[in-house]
Amino acid sequence: MKRRTLLKWAALAAAAAATPTLAPAARNRPSLRYLRPPGHWSEEEFLERCIRCGQCGQICPNRCINYFGLENGAASLDTPYIIPREKGCILCMKCGEVCPTGAIPKIRRTAEDIIDGVRMGKARVDTRLCLSYQGKTCGVCYRACPLQDVAIRVGMLEQPQVLDACVGCGLCERSCIQMPQAIRIIPYRG
Amino acid sequence: MTESTGTARPFFLWKHLNKLRWLVLATVFSMLVALPFLYLYQTYVAAHAYDLLAPSEKRLYDVMETLTSPFVSDPAEDLDAIKGNTWSGNFFGYKISDPLAVLGQMAASLSFNGTLLLTALIPVLATLLFGRFYCGWICPATFLYELNSNLAVLLRRIGLHTGNHRLDRRIKYLVLGVGLLLSMASGAVLVASIYPPAIVGRELFYGIALGGFGAGTAFFVGTLLFDLLVARRGFCRYLCPGGALYSLLGRFRPVRIRRIVEQCNDCAKCNVVCEFGLDPMRDDFGQECNNCTACIAVCPTDAMTFTLSFHDLPDQGPGHLGKRWQREHARPRQEEAA
Repeated sequence: MKRRTLLKWAALAAAAAATPTLAPAARNRPSLRYLRPPGHWSEEEFLERCIRCGQCGQICPNRCINYFGLENGAASLDTPYIIPREKGCILCMKCGEVCPTGAIPKIRRTAEDIIDGVRMGKARVDTRLCLSYQGKTCGVCYRACPLQDVAIRVGMLEQPQVLDACVGCGLCERSCIQMPQAIRIIPYRG
Repeated sequence: MTESTGTARPFFLWKHLNKLRWLVLATVFSMLVALPFLYLYQTYVAAHAYDLLAPSEKRLYDVMETLTSPFVSDPAEDLDAIKGNTWSGNFFGYKISDPLAVLGQMAASLSFNGTLLLTALIPVLATLLFGRFYCGWICPATFLYELNSNLAVLLRRIGLHTGNHRLDRRIKYLVLGVGLLLSMASGAVLVASIYPPAIVGRELFYGIALGGFGAGTAFFVGTLLFDLLVARRGFCRYLCPGGALYSLLGRFRPVRIRRIVEQCNDCAKCNVVCEFGLDPMRDDFGQECNNCTACIAVCPTDAMTFTLSFHDLPDQGPGHLGKRWQREHARPRQEEAA
């Protein structure tokens, strides 16, 4: 019996000793380019809030929210993500309504609130790839943007310029007709 | 036999609660299966593109439209009323979360989250009152685990060996502690990944709506095999962190099952049927009884009943209808009669 209790405490001590080394292993890898659902937390803050209930994906009418397996580390297991090239966020703000923990904050569906509250990332134009910058008038990203003239502006030959108000929904990257896409969302990681 | 006339018989409906429990379990599980289909239907409606759907999707659309059209006028909005799973869900505007989700989230963020805590209020109060009832009455994993137990019985009947080892029941409290510690250290709610009901809810959605099961399914199949090969209901009995939390919360539950010693005949059917490996025949329910009422349903002499008490009775000894008690007590009376 005594040996049993000793073993038990040894196992507990081993688990306690292993936690600091396991923690960095559980951290996610930054090489994947994905967005979190529309909110404003840094990656750390998001992970400590998300309880992985999956309700954001169950309410997303656009089916853009997907869930991680183990490919992004154990800490992100079953947490939601959006790959903007596959499907952008339409900023319907339903996921924030349904989120029980505030990992996706409640934000009203108005342009002001979205510009203030949503920070998924920021679009960046690669002028070497962009058709408009190559003299072929395009402007698709500008037409796809839900915050036209606030988040993105077009100049001569429909050449896009991303402005500071861009929330990173990814609709421009989704719609870009160039292959590979000339406009990409740089995710906000905090 | 003659002495038992004076004792109270249990309320007659309690024998049938076990059937109600299966009904509740099946309802919860089938809702978790139905919700992803409803979600798919909602997205088809929201897309306004019936003509572009594949034939199978069109069939799903038609079936769901027929089923839901009496209740909702705008499916894309109105069907949002029920979302989520037993880990955390939205039910007509009320948010309900598992207490373990709340605890895990607070451990991960090391901060107090009042709004989230409120969502666990109803489950916590119900657990304080009824003990670990969630494990027997609601948990969608229990539905599959009990079917798995029945499968083990079938396998045994055709001569295959299934494991029935007894481990230390306190391991699950260690799992709960280590899970919360790991959540704290990693800053992510890792307990969600080792908790079967959360996994079942999520994976059903992944499998049906997102087109593929995830890593959690592998874990869950592992627990099914563990139950089959190592210990009956082994995960719930020995490893489940949520079960540990519910057991602790329900330690002083007022609603308990009690044995009526005057009507017990020591047949031990209750001990055999008890999914959690407790000892109802010797009054040992403890904090881990989930009030599943299987022992009440199986008792041939109506010796199990509900009672309002904060503690179990101490061992009442052999049942008065059993051979052992009658051997010990019958003789002096015969001598008196003689």
